[in-house]
Amino acid sequence: MFWLPHCGALGGFNVTQPVPLAILFSTSGPYAALGREALDGALMALAEVNANSRQGFTLVAEICDPAGQTENYAPLLDQALRRTGARHAVGGITSWSRKEMIPTVERHQALLWYGCPYEGFEANDRVVYLGACPNQHIVPLFAHALPRYGARGCFVGSNYIWGWETNRIGRELVTDYGGRVVSERYLPLGDTNVQRVIDEIAAKRPDFILNTLIGPSSYAFFAAYAQLAAADPAFAAARRPVLSCNLTECELGEIGPAAIGHLSTAPYFDSLPEPANTAFRQRLAARFGKDRKGSAFFLGAWLGVHLLAEAMREAGTDNPDTVLRVVTSRRFVTPLGPLGIDPRTNHAILRPHLARVAEGGCFEIIESAAEPIAPDPYLAEYVARPPASAACPGQRPNLRVVQ
Amino acid sequence: MTQPFRTPNFRGWRALVLHKPGPVTEALLRQFGQLGMEGSVVWPQLASGTEAAVLFFDADLGHDGQFPWPPGQAPMPLIALLGSEAPGRVEWALTQRPQAHLLKPLGSAGVYGALVIASHAYAAQCRLEQEVAALKSRLSRRPAVVEAVVALMQRDGIDTSGAAYARLRRLAMSSQRSIEDAAEDLLRPAGRRCA
Repeated sequence: MFWLPHCGALGGFNVTQPVPLAILFSTSGPYAALGREALDGALMALAEVNANSRQGFTLVAEICDPAGQTENYAPLLDQALRRTGARHAVGGITSWSRKEMIPTVERHQALLWYGCPYEGFEANDRVVYLGACPNQHIVPLFAHALPRYGARGCFVGSNYIWGWETNRIGRELVTDYGGRVVSERYLPLGDTNVQRVIDEIAAKRPDFILNTLIGPSSYAFFAAYAQLAAADPAFAAARRPVLSCNLTECELGEIGPAAIGHLSTAPYFDSLPEPANTAFRQRLAARFGKDRKGSAFFLGAWLGVHLLAEAMREAGTDNPDTVLRVVTSRRFVTPLGPLGIDPRTNHAILRPHLARVAEGGCFEIIESAAEPIAPDPYLAEYVARPPASAACPGQRPNLRVVQ
Repeated sequence: MTQPFRTPNFRGWRALVLHKPGPVTEALLRQFGQLGMEGSVVWPQLASGTEAAVLFFDADLGHDGQFPWPPGQAPMPLIALLGSEAPGRVEWALTQRPQAHLLKPLGSAGVYGALVIASHAYAAQCRLEQEVAALKSRLSRRPAVVEAVVALMQRDGIDTSGAAYARLRRLAMSSQRSIEDAAEDLLRPAGRRCA
């Protein structure tokens, strides 16, 4: 076990007290696979927390399914907080859903634990951001890929804020590397009609593809791109890779062999060689079977519940302000490695990894940041890199090749 | 896209907040920190010679005497902090010519967007003001153009004012100056001409 018991900090909880917690994930609707993955993570953490009989509290979950409809999130969260008196919520996959929930969370003076990668430019003091923001995903991803594959990119994304904003940052980075965006296309959420995008890529022959599609659109895109590569080896993953900031283990089963060889970045991969991850994977296998893999989406929700419980053990209360003070002043040992929450932005200090999809639905980590990177949600610290001619692999001091 | 879009970045910007210290100034300073800015709070009055990249000012308790410049002539972008939306207060805030505003109470968002809008509007305003000043100066020098046209007709024996104006225009274009500059030059005594 790596969650250290805090025997001296139980003052606030005299008897085993039920503490309500709202959990909102869309386990139906257009991105249900991600919602189910995150809900599994939250529920596994809940079971682990509640197995501790000496902490003086039991977390009681109120689980809601907004069905992927943006307008459902705020009323469902409001009802859950009112009905149960919960002061904490774990949930949200898309940025729209997070932005929908924020006014409700503020009104209740509650705390939202959000565990997904997102596009940045937000730092709400009622939200704990456990997923990567751009300086922890697309910036290191491009720092690895562009000097190796070239800086002419085709961008394809789902037609909402994650795709728009991540691609916009991508376009700026590409310019800094002396390249350009040769096409930029958006598909409606859930749309699987990708042939026109593929035809355009075939005609433009970019150096790489940046993929910010989510759910079934992403699966259809990988399948069609694999067909293109089968017809023309110039589009093989090793030559013209698809780069993603949100492709995780939980979707590799859906995509199948079409994803093999393509690249993704995340603060967690199932194959991460962290001691705490070895123990985590054993518990994961015990709960879901030996084939189940962890993913960044699973861990985002899992971390939310565990960090909340850990802070409650230490603080002796679930008061959101107290909990926030505790989580932003400590370091945690997690399956992701050592992790802290930056008190300035409420974002996690994360170590980005870059991985290649391997056989059997798993990722092979090919590069990791030397150490956890402080969040910079507004990219205030970002400085343009030298153009491609001056950039070479040896000039990236904060990335270390591990394999 | 011909010009690469740069993400607006306010790192190192010095922001002044003319507002009574409290939750509003705390919220502002926290957001400045996230943006890599330096912020300081001043109340009740700005010192003369105040320098900053941007000024946030209280529209609720604000008055002209707090500023070391005449209303509407701030040498930096202004962002009004509105609590009351009563028309009298909004009207006063407008006399300072803010480029953006934020509603109080302040949460943990808003500053970045307000900065992007205010700095953009301020730059556009400065460009416009320079353009207007240049046009005003040219307007005020119309008599010189008329005089130069007449002088050219007499000097070179040109029959029509249209042909004389066309020649003046060619003179201006060939020396890449405005018609007004060329006219004034033509009217100077011979030894003092520039061209």
